[in-house]
Amino acid sequence: MVAQALVPAAVGKAIDTGIIARDQRALLLWGGAVVVLGVVQATAGILRDRAALTTRLGASYRTAQHIARQAARLGAALPKRVAKGEIVNAGVVDIGRLGDALAETARGSGALVAIAVVAAILLHTSWQLGLVVLLGVPLMVGVVSLLIRPLHRRQQRLREQQAELTGRAVDIVSGLRVLRGIGGEEVFADRYRADSQRVRAAGVAVARVEALLDGAKVLLPGLLTTVVVWLGAHYVATGRMGAGQLVAFYGYAVFLVDPLRRLTNAAGRLTQGHVAARRITAFLALRPEFAPSAVAPAPYQGPAPLTDPASALTVAPGRFTAVACASPADAATLAARLGRYTDSAVTLGDTPLADLPPDEIRRRILVADNADRLFAGPLREELRGRGSDAGPDGRANDAGRGGRGRDAEVGGRGRDAAPGGRGCDVALVGRGSDAALERAVDAACARDIVEALPDGLDDLVEESGRNFSGGQQQRLRLVRALMADPEVLILIEPTSAVDAHTEARIAHGVGELRAGRTTLVFTTSPVVLDRADHVVYVQGAKAVAQGSHGDLLTDVRYRSVVAREETE
Amino acid sequence: MSTHTSLPVAPARDTRAYARRLALRHPRELTAVLALYALAAGCGLVGPRLLGDLVEDTRDGGGDGGGAIARTALLICVFVIVQALLTHAATYASARLGEKVLAELRERFVGDVLALPLATVERAGAGDLVTRTIRDVEVLAGCVRRAVPATMTALVTIAVTFGALFVVGPLLAFPCLIAVPVLWAAGRWFFGRSREAFLRQSASYARITEGLTETVEGARTVEALRLAPRRAERTDRDIAGSYAAERHTIGLLTVFLPITDTAYVLPVAATLVLGGLFALHGMVSLAAVTAATLYVQQLLGPVDTVLYCLGDLQAGAASLARLRGVHRAPASGAPASGVDASGADASAAAAPRHRGLALRGVRYAYREDRDVLRGIDLEIEPGERLAVVGPSGAGKSTLGRLLAGIHAPRTGSVTVGGVPLAELSPDRLRGQVALVTQETYVFAGTLRENLLIAVPGPGPGPGPGPGVADAELERALDAVGAREWALELGLDARVGAGGAALAPDRVQQLSLARLVLADPHTLVLDEATSLLDPRAARRLERSLAALLEGRTVIAIAHRLHTAHDADRVAVMENGRITELGPHDELVARGGAYAALWESWHGRT
Repeated sequence: MVAQALVPAAVGKAIDTGIIARDQRALLLWGGAVVVLGVVQATAGILRDRAALTTRLGASYRTAQHIARQAARLGAALPKRVAKGEIVNAGVVDIGRLGDALAETARGSGALVAIAVVAAILLHTSWQLGLVVLLGVPLMVGVVSLLIRPLHRRQQRLREQQAELTGRAVDIVSGLRVLRGIGGEEVFADRYRADSQRVRAAGVAVARVEALLDGAKVLLPGLLTTVVVWLGAHYVATGRMGAGQLVAFYGYAVFLVDPLRRLTNAAGRLTQGHVAARRITAFLALRPEFAPSAVAPAPYQGPAPLTDPASALTVAPGRFTAVACASPADAATLAARLGRYTDSAVTLGDTPLADLPPDEIRRRILVADNADRLFAGPLREELRGRGSDAGPDGRANDAGRGGRGRDAEVGGRGRDAAPGGRGCDVALVGRGSDAALERAVDAACARDIVEALPDGLDDLVEESGRNFSGGQQQRLRLVRALMADPEVLILIEPTSAVDAHTEARIAHGVGELRAGRTTLVFTTSPVVLDRADHVVYVQGAKAVAQGSHGDLLTDVRYRSVVAREETE
Repeated sequence: MSTHTSLPVAPARDTRAYARRLALRHPRELTAVLALYALAAGCGLVGPRLLGDLVEDTRDGGGDGGGAIARTALLICVFVIVQALLTHAATYASARLGEKVLAELRERFVGDVLALPLATVERAGAGDLVTRTIRDVEVLAGCVRRAVPATMTALVTIAVTFGALFVVGPLLAFPCLIAVPVLWAAGRWFFGRSREAFLRQSASYARITEGLTETVEGARTVEALRLAPRRAERTDRDIAGSYAAERHTIGLLTVFLPITDTAYVLPVAATLVLGGLFALHGMVSLAAVTAATLYVQQLLGPVDTVLYCLGDLQAGAASLARLRGVHRAPASGAPASGVDASGADASAAAAPRHRGLALRGVRYAYREDRDVLRGIDLEIEPGERLAVVGPSGAGKSTLGRLLAGIHAPRTGSVTVGGVPLAELSPDRLRGQVALVTQETYVFAGTLRENLLIAVPGPGPGPGPGPGVADAELERALDAVGAREWALELGLDARVGAGGAALAPDRVQQLSLARLVLADPHTLVLDEATSLLDPRAARRLERSLAALLEGRTVIAIAHRLHTAHDADRVAVMENGRITELGPHDELVARGGAYAALWESWHGRT
């Protein structure tokens, strides 16, 4: 920027010493100086940009990593603490602002130096004229910034209306199937047109101020230069200054606007960055719901019953238990208690869940419900649930595909490699191995989904699994839950979106695959209930009857919930 | 079943022609804007010229020094004011024109979207369209509001300035051309690579956002399956990708920017030195050299603007192509059919003669040589209830879509009253058959508006639908058992995004009420109640029963009791109907259906 500041001076020198003094050598010399300054400026400029980029990216990326890790760490507690949109916003907009703020510090200081250098040159040449320029330029920038505020207000309004319009369009597009199926296109087209015209009006309102601003940007510097030229001409006429110096003054009056604007910009960015940083640190300061317990838990002693005293529900180890709830809310509450997503007196064997470290609970008990999400990425990886063998430091175990998964396949069971994990003698069905994956796919009756994909298991899951239908997603989620192979698997309505044929096959497949392991299914489907080893009927959040599906069918209350044709 | 084909993008030639038509649709405004810019630029040139004179005057030590100087200064002042006014007018006029064109563009896009054939909508999936609606409209708006006027001003300014340079001294106009080949070469090199680089960069940020959104929205799943390390890994991978993209871009800039920045100084130096030499040899005046040097300096800004805006213009053109592409979306997914929205008049002649549906030798494939339906023959009597059962992937939903006229068969025919369904206009089709799926939607707006969309007939205006009495809406709500809560909420209550949230079963009731209003004689039900929990589903089935009263019903059966109640049951396997007949008959026959019924019924 300093180099750029010196260009007008060199041009002035060239005119004064070269052309006016009729000195060809001086002319060439100063002309060369202009070129050299240009090259220096260009080089310095890009170096500055690169440095600024490094600072910006460093800050943004580091923060993005922290935010993502914090979101994962908060887990199920996250939606209770903060609005989801807010975090995503922090991870997208705020990290950018933080980076910008840091990058702008460099640019702002560059501008400051440039202003100082120019001031020195001007005052040295002619202090009166220098003063005019140095006072005039900030005054000018100040006047222009008066217009900035109403401009920002109108731009804000435009942005809001534009967002509303976009919302309207997205609404139309999202409901397009319905609209095209049943009609109403005209109404929506009209309404969109009305909104669109409102945005147009807001856009014109912005333009009105912008046009004023553009005019001012011409007028104010123009007037300032006129004053400079007029005064300068007097000095030149009286011989106090060279004509070239006058040209240089003209150049500076124009030039100074730029660094001054940068300076104001940098100040604004710093404020924004500060606000962003506050939001981010507030989010990073949140703590997970259940702190690791201080009590040392009893050593692991093999599969144990899971008991919830509040509802008198006991899940026997190694069996396929089904629970039919009269109200779906009961199923959600019970599952949350059993998986310790809410505080409860549930015990696993003799140990209260409250005394187990949260990570161990997650490893031993898996609650899979229909709100679970499929993540984007290769289907194979998604179903395998790679990364669950991570150490407590949160670093991923990089044993990629196959690798140790295939080792684990030998013998198929009886291995837990979690570093630092308590020596759970949990049987792992060769976690991650291809053969296990094939078995799980068959058990969840998901073979046809995989085969319909051009690349089979190597195909990609799109964001939120949107390339699969509701029923397909449900079966894929089931495959993933089966692959996680926890000591206790709790499934909530795992077959609600598949047809009766498929339901029967899934009930059979899951029962087979989980033979000898603890499985609990909340369901009201007679097909699944029929396949379970043991059925519990829950009403009013209490286990009120149990036995086999056939036994329970004699109970009128149970019948009314599961045998639907009887009620019609 | 989930074969998603994305929507087309308009080819470059079509896009260019479209942009040209857009620009020339308002010739008067466009001419006015260009003239204003030219005048403003012209005024801007007078200042340096007068300054040049001033320098010359003072050097000559002009006798009437003070007076001449004051006169010149005053003149400069006047031109500055005129230029400011012209600039103001030009900016305003161009923005008005821009907003007008922009409004036309987006309205036309939404119009095109609303005219998309059902089959295309079904196939493309919402994702691509949503992206176009949000991102491309926004990119184009930015382009029209900033890049286009800036480029226009810059080009006009360059032309005028260069003209002035030529007037001041033809000799002095040439030195500045020294930068042209340099800029040209650098520009070609850079813009050949930059578009891809910028696209890669923004894609990499989109991935970071997507990853974070997934982690946040699936936070419970992350905890349940202990996926935290994997999510962290994904973030790190996305960031590494973003960093690589940024490095690539800055690498390109590191080559490009120093070259252009240097190229900007060259003309100034060349004009100064060469002009100075000319002046020393008396070929041009000092005033001319001064003015020329200042002109050349003034040229740099606009040249830089043009280079700067090129990228935005490129992006704008790409977005325009994507928006325009919707206009060209194929009329129907099926190869055999050539229906589109404008074909409505043509098919008006063929009106269905009765309400019976018939399928003859129907085959259908989403992808070449993979038939999902392999030869279906089926006649459905008016008022009949047919249940279609079978394992996933048997082709049940596809059959439903063909029966609803969404897809046309590859071979064979699907007719209603003797007329092929696929040849009916959307308006006429709606009065015949409707597909009821588990996909429901509440539009942002009032409850009344959400119902009125289904009311057929000539143009229900944008206002609170004058054509239909509230009583009729209430009757429809009553029929599906939604009257009580709907009236409690009020017909004018805002629902959908930004309004009151409706429970899933109420949303379903709302869609059913729409169907009552649309009043088709045949309904195809495809898993309409399957995603609801069983109890809500049972409530809803009562609403559904009211709707089905007196209509032909084809139910893609999910729960078997639907099949039990049907007049006939069709069992589908592998794209064919393997069993067909009344429930009792099929159970007695002891085939696949009988086995399933046993298992469902729980061996009571």
